[in-house]
Amino acid sequence: MLRRLARWAGSIPALLPLGFLAAIVLTLVFATGLENFGLSFFGTDWNPSTGDPSKAVFGIMTFVVGTLITSVFALVFALGLSLALALSIVFYLPPRMSQVLAPFVDLLAGIPSVVYGIWGFWIVAPVFGETINPTIVRYLGWIPGLQGPVIASGVGIPLAILILTLMIVPVTTTLIRDSLRAVPQALDESGLALGATRWEVIRRVDIPYAKRGMWSAVLLGFGRAVGETVAVFMVIGDATKLPASLLDVSYTMPGALVGQLDSAFIQPNYLHALAELAIVLFLITFVVNFAGRRFVSRIVVRPTGALSVRGAGP
Amino acid sequence: MNATEDSLVGTSARFRRRRRVDRWLGRLLPFTFLLVILPLLDMVYWIATRALPTFSWATLTTNPSGTSGGLYGPIVGSAEILAISTTIAAAIGIAGGIYTAEFASERMAATVRFTTNLLAGVPSIVVGYFGYFALVLYFGWGASLIAGSVTLSIFILPYVFRSADLAFASVPKDLREASLGMGSTRVQYIRRVAFPVALPQVLNGVFLAMAIGLGETAPLLYTAFWNNFPPTGLNQPVGYLTGLIWNYYDEPLSFGTEVTMAFQAAFILMVVVIVLNLAIRIIGGIYARRLRGLYH
Amino acid sequence: MSVPGEKTNGSVLATQDLSVWAGDKQILKSVTLEAPDRTLLAVIGPSGCGKTTFLRSLNRMVELSHGLRVDGTVRYLGQDIYDARVDPVLVRRRIGMVFQRPTVFPMSIYENVAFGLRLDRKPEDEVEKSVVGALQRAGLWDEVKDDLDRPALSLSGGQQQRLCIARALAVSPRVLLLDEPTSSLDPAATQKIEGTLQELREEMTIVLVTHNVAQAGRVSDRTAYFYQGRLVEVGPTADLFENPKDPLTEEYLTGRFG
Ligand SMILES: Nc1ncnc2c1ncn2[C@@H]1O[C@H](COP(=O)(O)OP(=O)(O)O)[C@@H](O)[C@H]1O
Ligand SMILES: [Mg+2]
Repeated sequence: MLRRLARWAGSIPALLPLGFLAAIVLTLVFATGLENFGLSFFGTDWNPSTGDPSKAVFGIMTFVVGTLITSVFALVFALGLSLALALSIVFYLPPRMSQVLAPFVDLLAGIPSVVYGIWGFWIVAPVFGETINPTIVRYLGWIPGLQGPVIASGVGIPLAILILTLMIVPVTTTLIRDSLRAVPQALDESGLALGATRWEVIRRVDIPYAKRGMWSAVLLGFGRAVGETVAVFMVIGDATKLPASLLDVSYTMPGALVGQLDSAFIQPNYLHALAELAIVLFLITFVVNFAGRRFVSRIVVRPTGALSVRGAGP
Repeated sequence: MNATEDSLVGTSARFRRRRRVDRWLGRLLPFTFLLVILPLLDMVYWIATRALPTFSWATLTTNPSGTSGGLYGPIVGSAEILAISTTIAAAIGIAGGIYTAEFASERMAATVRFTTNLLAGVPSIVVGYFGYFALVLYFGWGASLIAGSVTLSIFILPYVFRSADLAFASVPKDLREASLGMGSTRVQYIRRVAFPVALPQVLNGVFLAMAIGLGETAPLLYTAFWNNFPPTGLNQPVGYLTGLIWNYYDEPLSFGTEVTMAFQAAFILMVVVIVLNLAIRIIGGIYARRLRGLYH
Repeated sequence: MSVPGEKTNGSVLATQDLSVWAGDKQILKSVTLEAPDRTLLAVIGPSGCGKTTFLRSLNRMVELSHGLRVDGTVRYLGQDIYDARVDPVLVRRRIGMVFQRPTVFPMSIYENVAFGLRLDRKPEDEVEKSVVGALQRAGLWDEVKDDLDRPALSLSGGQQQRLCIARALAVSPRVLLLDEPTSSLDPAATQKIEGTLQELREEMTIVLVTHNVAQAGRVSDRTAYFYQGRLVEVGPTADLFENPKDPLTEEYLTGRFG
């Protein structure tokens, strides 16, 4: 009896993550006051009308668009960079060099969001405003979406994409690296033993074998990009309108949540709208993470670095 | 079969092309590390350049006063938030990790791991909204040290949890069987055998959680709020380094005192995070060596 | 099949004072050994005696293990395969390898066998001819001819291993190296592979590492006995089994048989 009680009590901490997930959902639902904003909620018109709350309109589409544009581009760049990094670490660099260089990628993950933000806002933004964006417009302006405007301060979508890319590269690199390391060494060597070059084996054997891991990198990297809050808020310009081009200022879902809650404290419908926006954001990241996690192969601990797993350490 | 086909020196155009692609990829791919390292160096360089000229002892020992002053209050606030939230997260995470690795059925363990990973994927601002609505408003804690710390602890919990779980699950099976076979109870086995083996990896998770918690902003903005002074109680609002950057970074004067304070706070955060990362590396190395010894 | 101007002395592959070092530990100690044309050379010896290392140094696979250093020479048709101008990719093209466990690629049966041929952008009819031929020589054709598009992973273990042999044969190597190819297979599958090897040894040079002495007796023309990194003795299989010259060999063989 006592043992069963102890066992039951012991399982509580293990169930808390699930409990917190449920609590988050319930709280957010409650915070919406179940207010129905109708179809206009999916429109592009977001006007809290703080002077006269009854005239308020809450359409979240501008934030959704800003989030998707920045996340998709950042994901594409991050995946490319990560693939190159992971291939270098696993196949091309001598183990010593890998051990020295790989930690820099992890360090990128450790830098606080606000630090990316302040660096982006004061140090990198001017480079975009004065050099990069004008150059893009000059040479690529004929491509729809790149025709301007040039924001003088440099904040806007391109800068946000750069910062986001740096922030999700550690996530995607780790996933791709681990999935490549999980390719059985004998399989990899079989390719080489057939007289294929290193690259041919990577392209035709290792990457196909690691496909699931690659998909998890796509999904979990995207989830991370969509949810990134503070850094993007600081560098994207926070304009509540559809961006006129890929060089324009914009606004994201997490950005709106973090930037506007203090204005909504005393305006119930504004609070309700933000809570509903939070639910939309939660659902997107939840679905993406749910799918992504199903692709991550089970953790197998083989600290011996034996035949089956390339490289050292668990 | 002829002489050229048996020659081991590649001469055909097709072969030379295959070889060239491979060789150039091998040479060029590693240079992508520059795309990671250069931004990092740029960040360190510029933040140091903006923070250090005005950095002094007073920066660390005086409170912010509106638009100038030092960072004493936020430093103490960050430390207190971190201490409380890490304690909560470590208590739950280590207990949950041990349960998952040692006691839970396979199905339950899989479910727990999955939900923990899902919790890790919840955006920080969404956790912040939960803290604001549930703790600050509905529980009536108000924006305070305790509301901020609890909110943050939920955000960093998965990192401790996963590490503790992995640490105990990685203890070699024969160690466990030998220990249980000699008649020790499960609890004795965990305390005397598994814990010493798992400890470095558990600590690793705790440090990782601290590094992440220290750098978070969004879960705290509406739960801890702000204070120029160190908090005098759990129910008092509290200032913290990331909040200071958030509040001051976009003041109009690029070299004004507020922006400089924000850079100083960023500098401190960066240094602490780099040190924590080094600690994680070193402990991780110890752990890997220890486990490798056990498996051999 | 003789190559004009090459001093092969009838041996396709020959090592001279071949040593392999891991740091200051010597894994392979000055091995001098020849593999004549159209014979199957079996390499036997206790676990850890360096059989795999020896085999892997015959097609430069050994270079893929970080920290191993090779000394001495390995000649393929008279050319030193460790010569600076020699490309290991071509070495492996001529000297194929089959591993301890089946290592089929995550693609169809057909594409597995076609793997090496595709690297050369061979025309499809030529690829197909080679694939069919290789499957036939590996004794797998009759079992898979109707579902070449099935994933290779759906085959049984023994079939997978024969697929790996077919895959290696498809690029028509002169030499085939096999590292305990039947150690993970049941007796029936083992028997099939031994049958395949007995046919192949009529047409090419084969080096077979095996921990199974009886297998060496059944399929090989010559047998080499390794002990602690040294080549103790080599000779025609029947001679070596019946009157081993070295007491170490005798001890090993009798230990195994009686
Ligand atoms: N990469 C390596 N580094 C260090 N030692 C090795 C390495 N590979 C093999 N060895 C050692 O060399 C010896 C021979 O190994 P191996 O060739 O695999 O033997 P066998 O195949 O006969 O069992 C063993 O003692 C093994 O531990
Ligand atoms: Mg072996």
